[in-house]
Amino acid sequence: MIVLDDVAQVFDGRAGPVQALAGIDFEVGENEFVAVIGRSGCGKSTLLRLIAGLLPPTRGRISIDGEPVTRPRRDVSFMFQRPALLPWRSVLSNVMLPIEIFGLERKSYRDRAHELLELVGLRGFEKRLPHELSGGMQQRVSLCRSLIHAPAVMLMDEPFSALDALTRTELSGELQRIQLEQPRTVVFVTHSIEEAVVLADRVAVLTPRPGRLRKTVDLAIPRPRVPGRPDVDQAGRELRDLLTAPVDE
Amino acid sequence: MSKVRRVLPLVGVLTLIGLWWLVTIVFSIERFLVPSPADVVASFLELPGYLLGQSLVTLIETIEGFSLSIVVGIPLAMLIVRSPLLERTFYPILLAMNAVPKIAIAPILVVWFGFGQGPKVVLVVLVCVFPVVISTASGMKSTPHELVELLRSWDSSRRQEFFKLRFLHALPQIFVGLKVAISLAVIGAVIAEFVGADAGLGFVIVQSGASADTSLAFAAMTLLAIMSIALFYGLAHLERKLLPWAEEHR
Repeated sequence: MIVLDDVAQVFDGRAGPVQALAGIDFEVGENEFVAVIGRSGCGKSTLLRLIAGLLPPTRGRISIDGEPVTRPRRDVSFMFQRPALLPWRSVLSNVMLPIEIFGLERKSYRDRAHELLELVGLRGFEKRLPHELSGGMQQRVSLCRSLIHAPAVMLMDEPFSALDALTRTELSGELQRIQLEQPRTVVFVTHSIEEAVVLADRVAVLTPRPGRLRKTVDLAIPRPRVPGRPDVDQAGRELRDLLTAPVDE
Repeated sequence: MSKVRRVLPLVGVLTLIGLWWLVTIVFSIERFLVPSPADVVASFLELPGYLLGQSLVTLIETIEGFSLSIVVGIPLAMLIVRSPLLERTFYPILLAMNAVPKIAIAPILVVWFGFGQGPKVVLVVLVCVFPVVISTASGMKSTPHELVELLRSWDSSRRQEFFKLRFLHALPQIFVGLKVAISLAVIGAVIAEFVGADAGLGFVIVQSGASADTSLAFAAMTLLAIMSIALFYGLAHLERKLLPWAEEHR
């Protein structure tokens, strides 16, 4: 379980301090999939980096399973907007990179790497170099890499936003399937309402400057969700209304 | 297309040689001023064994100095990238060392290290180390922040960040520096040989200049050019083999 207690973040900007996040109180339950949605620049990515332990919060406390987060944890994995693959490593060796960094025995994870690659339709591409793959395939490799050590928590920073619409829908479908098969705690930052509605158990809406938690919405729609189904689209419309409505403070 | 492109460098060289030949004939220039290509070839054929032997001397100095500058330069660059304090301390010294005219150092090196190969290798190192350090340091520093953050998200050690990420990311840029360095290395070796040497192509050039044997000097210079080209393309080939992932070859 992830707990954020009165978390605030202030950056030193060129024109004085910039308040990125203010007064965030928030919890993410075990194996819960939470989508954080908001406009660009509302501190969504900062929120993820704080949870990941990549950035110490200016104020407040963050804990995972009761332990305060002071540095990156091995059971938490981070997935970036861009694939961030090492160009000199083959697909397989990119997926195995966290295992190497952790100093774990590679042999015992190789089968899992192959399974994951097969799961996202990349069987037969293990020896390719990243530049030989399309953007969508690269991001699939990145997904496998963030799953290889079976982390308890996944932090995803707009992972599909750099992809074309079709690939995007495909990948969020795959992520949903993976989450159904191997559920884990996920915080998924996005600005796509469609993605949030398909994937999330709960949606947290952030308001910009400074980023504040405006509202959380539970999505009790049966899975697997498919965009275009009436209940899914209805939830999407409600979410859109909420995002476009004026701030009531 | 690719066949045509392969032949192009040869076409360039042959055109230049043709023009040179034409000029020596048309203006009937004296042999001791500018020898024709035929004179140069004849000069080489008179003493092929001697000239190749002298080439080997220069080649060995070049490669030894070049290799040594890699061994010294890359770790130095790593230290500089790792510690801003060291960077501030050593950069001015490095710059000053690079600014000193190498021809001015050559005689001093002879005083320090004698007439053997030693001072030549040292001069080559002095010439090469700068491009190696600069390219390695800037390559490692230009590692995308995203990739650095990726490794940090796994709580990687500094060591892992350096050897699994920064160094490998810097390799294409290191090769740029090495290609600059290898060209300078040949020049460095010859300059060192100008001053107090008893062997090497630089020595041959000085000797033939003294006896007005311009053809021999040209033959030695041609061998130097060939050596320089071969070393450069050898490195480029190695780069293509070692770094199939680098942008430049895509």
